[in-house]
Amino acid sequence: MSAQNGFNSDMFEALAPELTLFVGLLLIMIVPNLGNGTFRIPGTSIRLPWFFGGTRYKAVASPRLPGLLAVLTMAVALFQVICYLLDASAADGKVISSENGIEIFKVNMFSRIFEAIFFAALLLAAIASLDRLPTGSQKSDDIDVLFNNRRQADFYILMLTSALGMSVVALAQDMFVLFVGLELASFSTYVLVAFHKETRAGSEGGAKYFIVGSVASAVGLYGLSMLYLWAGSLQFDVLAAKWAADGATSLSMMALGFVLVGFAFKISAAPFHFAAPDAYSGANSPVAGVLATASKAMGMLGLMRVLLLITIPEMDAEGSAIWIGLLGVLAAVTMTWGNIAALGSDNPKRMLAYSSVAHAGYMLAALTAIGAWNWGLVDNAGDAMDVVVAALIFHMFVLVFFKLGAFLILGVLEMEGGASRLSSLAGLGKREPLLAIAMFLFMISLAGVPPMAGFLSKLLVIMGIVEVATGTGSLSSIGDAHWVWWLALLMVINSAISMFYYLRVGVVMYFHEPEEGRKGPLASGASIRIAIALCAIGTVAFGLVGGELIELCRDAAESLR
Amino acid sequence: MNIDYLSLLVVLPILASIFLLILTSRLNGFARAKFDAPVRMAALIISLAMFMLTTLMFLGQIGDVGWSNIAFNTFEFQESYVWIEQLGITWTVGVDGLSFPMVWLTTLLMPITIIATWNEKSGATYFPLMLMLGGALIGVFVALDMFMFYVFWELTLIPMFFMILKWGGKDRKYAAQKFFIYTFTASVVMLLGLLTMYFLMDTQTFNMQEMVVQASGANANGVWLGLEVQKVLFIMLMLGFLVKLPAAPFHTWLPDAHVQAPTGGSMMLAGVMLKMGAYGMFRLPISLFPHALEEFRFIVMMIGLVSLVWGAIVCLGQTNLKKMVAYSSVSHMGVILLGIASMQPLGWAAALFMMFAHGIISPMLFAVCGAFKHHYHSMEIGAMRGMAKHSPWLATSMMFGWMASLGLPLLAGFVAELMLMVAYWHAYGWWIIFPGLVLAITAAYYLWSMQRTIFEGGEATQPPESLHGDPVPDIDNSEKIAMLLLAAFTVLFGIMPWIFLDMMDMWTRSAMAFLGLGGA
Repeated sequence: MSAQNGFNSDMFEALAPELTLFVGLLLIMIVPNLGNGTFRIPGTSIRLPWFFGGTRYKAVASPRLPGLLAVLTMAVALFQVICYLLDASAADGKVISSENGIEIFKVNMFSRIFEAIFFAALLLAAIASLDRLPTGSQKSDDIDVLFNNRRQADFYILMLTSALGMSVVALAQDMFVLFVGLELASFSTYVLVAFHKETRAGSEGGAKYFIVGSVASAVGLYGLSMLYLWAGSLQFDVLAAKWAADGATSLSMMALGFVLVGFAFKISAAPFHFAAPDAYSGANSPVAGVLATASKAMGMLGLMRVLLLITIPEMDAEGSAIWIGLLGVLAAVTMTWGNIAALGSDNPKRMLAYSSVAHAGYMLAALTAIGAWNWGLVDNAGDAMDVVVAALIFHMFVLVFFKLGAFLILGVLEMEGGASRLSSLAGLGKREPLLAIAMFLFMISLAGVPPMAGFLSKLLVIMGIVEVATGTGSLSSIGDAHWVWWLALLMVINSAISMFYYLRVGVVMYFHEPEEGRKGPLASGASIRIAIALCAIGTVAFGLVGGELIELCRDAAESLR
Repeated sequence: MNIDYLSLLVVLPILASIFLLILTSRLNGFARAKFDAPVRMAALIISLAMFMLTTLMFLGQIGDVGWSNIAFNTFEFQESYVWIEQLGITWTVGVDGLSFPMVWLTTLLMPITIIATWNEKSGATYFPLMLMLGGALIGVFVALDMFMFYVFWELTLIPMFFMILKWGGKDRKYAAQKFFIYTFTASVVMLLGLLTMYFLMDTQTFNMQEMVVQASGANANGVWLGLEVQKVLFIMLMLGFLVKLPAAPFHTWLPDAHVQAPTGGSMMLAGVMLKMGAYGMFRLPISLFPHALEEFRFIVMMIGLVSLVWGAIVCLGQTNLKKMVAYSSVSHMGVILLGIASMQPLGWAAALFMMFAHGIISPMLFAVCGAFKHHYHSMEIGAMRGMAKHSPWLATSMMFGWMASLGLPLLAGFVAELMLMVAYWHAYGWWIIFPGLVLAITAAYYLWSMQRTIFEGGEATQPPESLHGDPVPDIDNSEKIAMLLLAAFTVLFGIMPWIFLDMMDMWTRSAMAFLGLGGA
């Protein structure tokens, strides 16, 4: 691991994907504004070509241009990240520090694989948005507004800034840097959610999301200030050392609790999930998909950094982390609440939002298990943590495919005039057999039916929990297993409950007659269909042959330590 | 040439089905209907090829296996490939005396079901689903890797769900969901049990063969994993299989699923899918946790007895022909549990043969129900009388099927029931009154239903109004062929049960000896 001070060429090399995003951002800002505008030298009549403004050139006036630029940028960034991941090993890592030795960023497999998740989600969403229309029913003149070049540019600029913010979160080695990245990403998503300000649902969802989100951020920031008060620094390693030396004090506990609120909002864990269903149903589908995948992975990343780097007990000590009880309760409540609420929602986007809450519960259960990692297995402490973290990363990675894919299918329906009732999906099996099959695959993958990727990820998560709970392997009864085993049981019961509402989608698609006025194949949107096809392929392929990805996730998990 | 025949049997129909489904999925309406006949023919050819393959395997033309000498926990046609290396998951296949009859049965039923439902509407989708179901079922039976087993276990749900949903009766929506959710719930609990067991093992492996070796090594000198743990895991695994079997009180999904499912779906569901439960019991909890089985022996027996008696009594009250047949399946599946609980080699062999015999007889019953519905537009017993006059073929098939299910000597069901009675008498003595009583009840409801359909009497002699006065047709040629074939096999295995009973017997004897159980 090499430390690097200050700016130099090495840093540019290490941060290549982020720089790509930055360049792409500048391009989207500049290129659509190019035109034959001139600049008159004051006091003369000489006009110099200035290239900004005036009549825009035909090539850059296309409303699709910003989208294409964003897709290209994201694809290049994703490619760079994947190249890094395939090339690197778990021990690699590059720290970028300020002049006075404060670590700011760390580039390693752990941060890079999260960037891969973020970029993949945003790339798919950007592809899907290339020729989409707004939520709700729109009059045709509104469509002109939305296809206006400048407004398209805004949309994709926000996508790229949220990508940038998320990668800052992934790379950050300092709580404050992490917070800055979190806010950059959050603010971009607030605006993206409210992007269709013409519709009531859009502005309502955006406002709710913004208000709840900023309160959560404020609480998190307050927690950060208390952490600073306690430790005198916000560096992860300084905080970890301080925690190891002092143990938990009331100040640090309270600070930590506040920080966790900020992240819990991002992963939409109960009881901080209330804004999520409104935000998801108000936002257009690709954006909602990004909230449910990339944004959630970002929150999970923050939780992992804080809980696993700062507060985990010493590796060779018996005992469990201090937060295990609290997190266990939170996990149980979140998964159950999410599933039960999803049972009763008729709006497919709200249903997916609650299913996302339930998935947050599963992930929290896995994190809880890490808190118990020292329980009875001192001989391989740390291994269990790798296993569980790898399972979580794998889960978030494949979630991009089937969660986002499900939202994209709703996106296709939105083009036809809304997908806010379950009955909008009715008859899809007859109208669009391939889309219906894809949706069914996404649903059973969400429920965890083999051989979909969702099954493998759920299997890995349950395996992680059970491995921790069974400890050294000699139990005289199941009651002797660590109590996180019961979280695994709750999780499988919840999976069974979730089957109700996932299957309902399949039944509606294949059983019900289409709604009034919806007949025949849907409007073709080549790009969104390509994105859906990619999602479907990912869902099946990673379920059948997920071995390589698991390996990658394990390496990434190892590099967290 | 070394061909992995078992993997071929699993992969070929599934790939063919995906190919056919995708091929026809872009077409709509009329264009698609033109594909019904070629797709049906393709499905028939593939399933016949599979049947040929398993038959040649059995006859020794392929592989030259001494089927009646396969001891417990040794497998033939064994092949293994790495699947997900990082988790130690492999694709391992193999057959033994327990699984081979089931594999053969599946390949037998696939072409017969396709023939019996030859004129099913939307065949371009229906027949590929049938192929997928068959491939997944064979996958369950040949899988020797826990992960692979679970994957196929769940995969069977998907084609069946769609078959019920798309071709089912009036309440198909409810029935399909109930079927899926019941089985899924039970199997996720089973999955947690499997994973807990995995992490408690000394050498963690997903390979069932190695698991059994490990378990029996430990069970010989004590109790593997400790009795308490063994009991909990036994319950968790059994739950998954009991729901599938289904045994009371988890049986309520079955009548709904059966009544709503199309004929082909019912035939496969009753013929093979229910046996997945019994097969799974023998393969996992019984082979791994014999001590827990001894502990729970009486409870297993009681569950079996309740299923048997309750199923039969409920049959008496049914007016729906298909529902009656469905409850009779519950009743017959109870017999399997009684066989297991008898802890006698004979009882286990009876259970295995019951699985097989019921797998041939019950599809015939459902084929009869399907034909009845098809021709008389009703499932009500008594809605149409005098069938012997209008449709002699159907009446004959019905009588034959009912008699076979009743346990008439020289038919396959009799062999299993006789063996069971003997073993049960040895094990539980005078408790035999209950299964004995059930025989009488069974005779009652079968005779009662025949009397009200086959023979004339009362006002219902006339064909139902929905036929609009048209003469009542007899069953189609395709249905005739299917029923003849099923009847022929019922007689064959009634007269010569040893064809498969030998290998089952060997399996049960060696299993009991291996596990240190019962009167071996």
